Amino acid sequence: MAGHKRKKHFKGMDDHLDLVPLIDVVFLILVFFILCGRLTVDQRTEQITVPPTRTAAKFDTKGWERIVLNVYGSTQNGKPPRNSIALPPRPPWVTAATDDYTGYQKLREALNSVHDRAEKYDDPKGTGMKLPKVIVEIRADAETEYRVVQEIQQVLSDTIDPSNSMLPRQNVEPKQLKAFVNIDFTTRKPGEN
Amino acid sequence: MSHGDSDPSEGKLDLVPLIDTVMLLLVFFIMTSKFTTEEKAISSLLPTDKGQLSAQQTKTVEEPKQVNLVIYPGGMEKGYQPSEYRDQLLKMRMPGQNIDYADFRIGANRLPKVDGKTLSRSRDAAHVGAALDEVHGFVFKALDAYETGTGERKDQHPVIIHCFSGMSWRFALIAYDAVRAYEATKATFKFSGNPDELARMREVTFAPPRIRNYSANELGNELYEIINMK
Repeated sequence: MAGHKRKKHFKGMDDHLDLVPLIDVVFLILVFFILCGRLTVDQRTEQITVPPTRTAAKFDTKGWERIVLNVYGSTQNGKPPRNSIALPPRPPWVTAATDDYTGYQKLREALNSVHDRAEKYDDPKGTGMKLPKVIVEIRADAETEYRVVQEIQQVLSDTIDPSNSMLPRQNVEPKQLKAFVNIDFTTRKPGEN
Repeated sequence: MSHGDSDPSEGKLDLVPLIDTVMLLLVFFIMTSKFTTEEKAISSLLPTDKGQLSAQQTKTVEEPKQVNLVIYPGGMEKGYQPSEYRDQLLKMRMPGQNIDYADFRIGANRLPKVDGKTLSRSRDAAHVGAALDEVHGFVFKALDAYETGTGERKDQHPVIIHCFSGMSWRFALIAYDAVRAYEATKATFKFSGNPDELARMREVTFAPPRIRNYSANELGNELYEIINMK
């Protein structure tokens, strides 16, 4: 009896809509979301809670490249440690409070490569510097130590040398500097966290 | 005709695979979706005509005028030696821990005991907003006393934020936010976010680090300098 019914069911299949292409498309969309969703998470890790402010806004900065620099506060299980920095998709670098500047060295190396490939413009202040059309977004956790943001700004402005104990750069022509001067500090509305 | 009558499933769409797929998608998105806070930004422009390189190239005749906004651990007072500030800091927190309260000062104006926990952890928008407004009100009142002339905003004395290096970032950013909010009330144009417009605005920057090696003694020296700053 059951076999008879199944036979009849398949006989009528030619009259049904073919759903296979639909399922194929849906799966393609699924794969797309898996890949794109992953990228978003990497850029803006959830381990960071930025401080609230009043003047923050969503800016339209067309024509400018934007890179996000994550700066960690206290994290679950201490991974990564407080005050670590990360320029996604690279893994976080630790910034120690004493005599170890390898985190900043790696940041400077990464920034150099961004500077090299970026579109540039002349410094309006006439210093001779070639500034990249890049906005660096410092996405620092509310509990990050202030010193880390200070030091990051120094590394960004390229006035100090992380590979030489963070000492001021000497005898360097301004046009040789790879400075990033356009900075955004990430923030949020009060009460949202 | 008789064939159709004998098979009621004929002519109907088989929706089972579609429903299976949609359910899989639904489960996937439920499991992976994360509701995150919409983040915004405050823009800043790092100076290119200051710092070590430019300092060698330019000769300063007189000390440049600037407004110093200083932030240090809440409750600390003037009149102590660096070693005493070091001891006060060690009593206040273990190395690497947060300092929950901050004092803000501009000239002789002081805002004591700003609560950092309220500012960064509370989900109560009104509560956080009130705490922010208190800092904004203080900064607005203090900066009004430093207004010079009626020229462009970029000609006003620059504001330099001197925050103790061991404080949390939230205090420094809130100070920056308050100065920018004050400038927004005085500006002749609305900032659109275009970095080129920042050059027309008053210079607001964070002071470079005073120390490099963050030992207890050095932190005491830094506190001494910041608390005694004019």
